[in-house]
Amino acid sequence: MVEKVRKLPKTFQYFKDEDAFAGGVAFCAGCPLELTLRVLSKVMGRQTVIVGTPSCSAPVLYGQNVGAWHKLPYYSCLMTGVASSATGLTRYYKKAGQDVNVVCFTGDGCAADIGFQTLSGAAERNENFIYVCYENEGYMNTGIQRSSTTPIGATTSTTPVGVAGRGKNTQAKNLPLIMAMHNIPYTATATLSHMDDLAKKMQKAMEKKKEGLVYLHIFCPCPVGWGIESDMSIQVCREAVKTNYFPLWEAENGKFKLTQTVSSPDPITKYTKMFKKFNHLTEKELAVIQAEVDHNFAFLKHLTEFGAHGQPAESPENNA
Amino acid sequence: MAIKKFSSKYEAAWSDANQQLLCLDTGTWRTKRPVVNVEKCTYCGLCAIYCPPQCMKIMPDHFEPDLNFCKGCGVCAKECLRGAITMMPEGDFDNEGKKG
Amino acid sequence: MKAKKGELKVITGNSAAAYGAMLCRPDVVASYPITPQTEVVEQLSKFHADGVLEAEMIEVEGENSAMNAVAAATLAGGRAFTATSSWGLVYMYDAVLQAAGFRAPVVMANVNRETPGILAVSSGQQDMIQTRDAGWIQVIVENSQEILDTIIMAFRLAEDYDIQLPVMVNYDGFYISYLAEGVRIPAKDDVDQFLAVLKTQPKRTIMDPTHPIGAGSHGLMTEFMELRYKHCAALDRAKKKFDEIDKDYGDFFGRSYGGQIEEYRTEDADFVILTSGSAVGTSRTVVDAKRAEGVKVGLIKLRMFRPFPQEKLIKAIKGKKAVGVIDRSVNFGWNSGPIYTELRALYPEIGPMPILSFIDGLASIDITKPHIERVIDDVANAAKGKPYQAVTWIPLEERE
Repeated sequence: MVEKVRKLPKTFQYFKDEDAFAGGVAFCAGCPLELTLRVLSKVMGRQTVIVGTPSCSAPVLYGQNVGAWHKLPYYSCLMTGVASSATGLTRYYKKAGQDVNVVCFTGDGCAADIGFQTLSGAAERNENFIYVCYENEGYMNTGIQRSSTTPIGATTSTTPVGVAGRGKNTQAKNLPLIMAMHNIPYTATATLSHMDDLAKKMQKAMEKKKEGLVYLHIFCPCPVGWGIESDMSIQVCREAVKTNYFPLWEAENGKFKLTQTVSSPDPITKYTKMFKKFNHLTEKELAVIQAEVDHNFAFLKHLTEFGAHGQPAESPENNA
Repeated sequence: MAIKKFSSKYEAAWSDANQQLLCLDTGTWRTKRPVVNVEKCTYCGLCAIYCPPQCMKIMPDHFEPDLNFCKGCGVCAKECLRGAITMMPEGDFDNEGKKG
Repeated sequence: MKAKKGELKVITGNSAAAYGAMLCRPDVVASYPITPQTEVVEQLSKFHADGVLEAEMIEVEGENSAMNAVAAATLAGGRAFTATSSWGLVYMYDAVLQAAGFRAPVVMANVNRETPGILAVSSGQQDMIQTRDAGWIQVIVENSQEILDTIIMAFRLAEDYDIQLPVMVNYDGFYISYLAEGVRIPAKDDVDQFLAVLKTQPKRTIMDPTHPIGAGSHGLMTEFMELRYKHCAALDRAKKKFDEIDKDYGDFFGRSYGGQIEEYRTEDADFVILTSGSAVGTSRTVVDAKRAEGVKVGLIKLRMFRPFPQEKLIKAIKGKKAVGVIDRSVNFGWNSGPIYTELRALYPEIGPMPILSFIDGLASIDITKPHIERVIDDVANAAKGKPYQAVTWIPLEERE
């Protein structure tokens, strides 16, 4: 028998604290959102106030009567008031001289749609808190409706496929880029398949929030809403990165950097065939998605050529 | 008739995990159970890292699901590079649907 | 012990609101400009720039964020102030409801302006009426001095351990907001002393980041109902507490306003008229004139609208022969004034008497002396047992 090396892999080093959540909480089996929250509590530790909103995470983030599902302080908001409530908390803690991680934790529907104004306002004011958006490309909690980050062609309960309907007919809003364009100190995308990258970005978020608003956009496919087998959620995350559908990047003080490079990206069809929401698409329609992925990635690549704020572009031809 | 007593000491909807930490028996949701082949385990930890409820217990030479909370999603088995975890029908076990 | 006299300054109503807030040393101020409230925001920003106000100033991108920010700040343990008006109050409505439900002791100045549907940048209390079921304490004041004094009292009421509710201080936009008059500005240390009693009370529950505490837990079944009950009970307690604070304020600063209501020449009156806000001043003058003619009329100024001062009103009105209510807003679905309909609910206790509704002053129409004379004449006739019109839209009837 081969002697095994019994040393924990280095990912565990990021987990500084105990999981703050009760062993059993009401997330669906295989839900990446559950993993995101548990990892967040392990990486960021206890001096973290979660600001949440009605969504899939609410039944777990919010307590019931005097009982709670986790040991983090939390403030439950309406969807319109997440970033603004976090502002109020952060400013008071600042005035009182308390160092606290105020972390907004919402889905894309809140971040990109109904709560976007307050998020944008807080970003412009450069408030000292962290906003984590778990991106599941729609309103999963209310029964899979489209949001402004639902990709083109995706079927949802409000963009169903029928004789006339072909799924959502507009492109997704690129929220992380929009947030980076607010010139905040730190914006990053992350997903669960690349756990070290995710944990590192969460750690960095805690540092960078001292300078101002931090925005983390975490890709969180929904097994129920997208039609994914419960054991496939991490695989979907990985394939989203491998196809450049969801590139992993960060923008620190305006300096864009890819944190994971994909040498030969997979065709988008390798990703879209993994679940049901794109099942109805024709080759032609899939080509539209592929073109969009290519465009977005090229655009992002171009952004990485620029220096941080207050610094000139790295290559002279970009100085036109 | 007057109200005899209040159940909460709070004026508003406050919760306190120190007073009551809620928990569900999510282990009972399981239809399949992850079974670890200790011989095959290389201790890479991927099963524990990716486990959504984070219920993989760290043992000296392998990882073991906490059946109180394991929902049977199968992520651990899917992510294990060595195929050391097999999802077995819950009905195959004497303590079917029960805690570990 | 008495407070110092304080500096006399000629300032607007909006400025008085800003002074009132500044003197209470709020930790967080968040507000968004809207006519006719804007000057409050500007003045507070100026105080901050001058180093007189050491608060965290949040220049929010809309009223909704203003209310969310101040509510969260109070629940984190701070003192917070905001000001708004009309559509701004509408735009923060979800947060207004949440602040009350969370029992966030926010103090907000609301500069009354017309609101629903018909756009009008003009005075009217309709904005306040839209939020009457929000679970807030709502106070209506009459002039600049009362604005300043009431905002200081509002902090003591809102943050009182037995109350813990948001307080909205309402004053008529345009009429009072922009009118400059002499106002006594109390000394800051005297205001500190007036508010110091709050520090001797038990500590209210706050978002302590070192404790696994959560604000906004789901209230289920009877526990939910219990929270509703507690909220209603706190509103009920606020009535007496407001009277006490008003008396304390009077004893210390030398100015008091009667608490929930102010009665003017009601004691020996045959009948009374009831109104609120800037119309009260004019009404006093007309009542004096009518008294000089031998008409035994009295005046009640409604200061607290939520909670509704039923006990005080019953005591003041019971035994009179008639009562007329002048509303600066309407009660949709009742075709009458809202304060009037509220008063009608006291009918069994005040006994059978004619109750007359007068709607006046919408969209900055002046509630003039002739209008109030007409009110008094109509109510006087009703008191004599003559037939009367239940609801009168005064300016429409008086129109040439």
